[in-house]
Amino acid sequence: MTILEEAPPITAAIQATGVARAFGSVQAVQDATLTVERGKVTALIGPNGCGKTTLMLMLAGLLRPDAGEIRVAGADPRTDSAAVRAAIGWMPDQLGSWDNLSCLQTLTLVGQSYRIPAAQARAKGLSLLRKVHLEEFADRPTRVLSRGQKQRLSLARALVHDPAVLLLDEPANGLDPRSRVELRQYVREIAAEGRAVLVSSHVLAELDEMVDDAVFMSKGRTLGDDAARMVAHARTRYRVWSLDVDALRRALTDASVPFEEAEGGAMVSIADEAHAQQALAWLVGAGVPVHRFGPAGSALEQTYMAMEEDRR
Amino acid sequence: MSVETTQTTPAPQGRRGRRPSFGRLTWSGLTLVIGLELRQRVRSTKWKVALSLIAALIAVITGLIIFAVPNDEWQPGDLVFGLVVYFVLFLGLVVSPTLTATSINGDVKEGTLAPLQATTLSAWDIVLGKLLAAWFASLAILAVAIPFIIFAMLDSEAHPAALITVILVLAAELLVVCALGLAWSALTSRTASSAVLTYVTVAVLVVVMPILFPLLMLTMPVEQTMTYVNRDYAYSESTVDEDKYPYVDESGYHYRCTEETYTQTAYRTDRLWWLLAVNPYVIVADSAPSPEIPEDSDEYYYTDGILDAIKQGVRELRLPPATTSDYCQPGLSEEEMYRREQREGLSPTWPWGLGFHAILAAGSVLIAVRRVAVPYGTLPRGTRVA
Repeated sequence: MTILEEAPPITAAIQATGVARAFGSVQAVQDATLTVERGKVTALIGPNGCGKTTLMLMLAGLLRPDAGEIRVAGADPRTDSAAVRAAIGWMPDQLGSWDNLSCLQTLTLVGQSYRIPAAQARAKGLSLLRKVHLEEFADRPTRVLSRGQKQRLSLARALVHDPAVLLLDEPANGLDPRSRVELRQYVREIAAEGRAVLVSSHVLAELDEMVDDAVFMSKGRTLGDDAARMVAHARTRYRVWSLDVDALRRALTDASVPFEEAEGGAMVSIADEAHAQQALAWLVGAGVPVHRFGPAGSALEQTYMAMEEDRR
Repeated sequence: MSVETTQTTPAPQGRRGRRPSFGRLTWSGLTLVIGLELRQRVRSTKWKVALSLIAALIAVITGLIIFAVPNDEWQPGDLVFGLVVYFVLFLGLVVSPTLTATSINGDVKEGTLAPLQATTLSAWDIVLGKLLAAWFASLAILAVAIPFIIFAMLDSEAHPAALITVILVLAAELLVVCALGLAWSALTSRTASSAVLTYVTVAVLVVVMPILFPLLMLTMPVEQTMTYVNRDYAYSESTVDEDKYPYVDESGYHYRCTEETYTQTAYRTDRLWWLLAVNPYVIVADSAPSPEIPEDSDEYYYTDGILDAIKQGVRELRLPPATTSDYCQPGLSEEEMYRREQREGLSPTWPWGLGFHAILAAGSVLIAVRRVAVPYGTLPRGTRVA
């Protein structure tokens, strides 16, 4: 790069290009490229052992990449790890808590670790505990918390210092259904505040409603545009259920609409919600007894499964 | 740099060439980690109970020592004081490793190290905070022991200043042991391994070196001429020739001194004394001041009890082997006077030992800081970040 060449303005909170990292002979991450935008929730999806956690550790400034470029909030974790760590809130997949400290003490301590004055850290900790519904545990030692409660404390811990970027490694693990819904809403709120969120999870149906973008990872590589196209395609798939399956299929065939057969109906491709409304009106108008009509399940899950099939 | 060509991905900045930055030590970070460690680690070990037990143990041992050491004209010197101090040192060497030997790998296992590393705390903050917190905890043991040490002091004839030096050196030794434990907890992934290795390291200093000392000594003998001066008594006291037998002993018998010269094997302990100097027990003994030998004293050693004996003994070993042995005349021979002067003129042994321990401790802290500093380049075998 010459000095004259103008650097592109950095708009993304996280920009990683061609990142690789090996542990001994094991190539944990081979070639990861991803962008996480401010104000958006990005999912990091992939099977166990595909390098999600390793990639997150590199983004969090804890692990040095062997190759590739990373910029987090404009800083390079390789040379300015402290700046990266200050900008990032990291919720690890391993649940560790100081079991003799109370929840509030934990959050205050972590806040102070980011050089926030004690009183301010304490106030922030209290409001976060309220947010994750742990206020009744504020003065109780963390060892009494259940797994899901520890998970929520861990989320609060990642937010104490108002990070610009949030890395959530399997945040829904061990959460009960209600907490999952709350987590989803909370993550959306966090993104709405202008923060960038990168979240990894296996619970794909969960992510579907939470994320704006998705990055698929397999065997240490991010799948990039192919996977994005697959997600986009999956998002267009609608499933139609009819009391009279033959009538439905006849109507579609007559109108030469391409479809796949599905149990109790058919799968069709519809570009957006407006078109979906028109399609439904047309089917009903044609006398097809439609009793259910909607998106064909989780787009992420479909993509994930398709990706998994490719691997086999 | 080697000329390996195994790198497949041409990285603009390889991880191995660069060191993670250790960051800066900050007062706020240091006190924060000390507070966390004291609340988390120390409080969890039922600290008050442990301290009371230790106090009771020291009390019993002190009582038994005072009972066992005779209090008559045979001068026990600093024996009571020395034994109590040595017992406290023993306790410190046993307990202190447990305070740090699992400090880093234990936290990694619990998942509580990475959340700290991910903050803006520096590696220095974390490591020195852990070290000082463990040291403060072990100083609590010393604080509990101090009344008994003072009590033992009053019951013996040690140099009054020895009380201060002994406590300071004990405190320093506890810091060294804490640092060793921290290094091993940084180097190994399993807590059991680091605990064992810390104890082995302490045992090497305390036990293995003193065993090595005579063994190594025997491998380096030197032949030297040795002059013995012995008494030769007259055959018959009635016909004694006073010119030939000029000296008279305590019972009134005449004798003369005869010199005999042999070639004998001697051992160069002056080349191996450092094996003993790094022993914590020797450091404690050597640092304790002892009463000065009066100029006109005819005693070769002025040893009183245990600390002083070890101190003078080790210093004697620092001198080259003696070449004369005078059993003839009462009082000190010229060579003995000379050797005593030499020994008195030696620099103290303890700065060498304590200096070596300081290097060990500093090295240990560096090892731990390297282990804790992020972002990680290479990870220790069998460990993971989080």
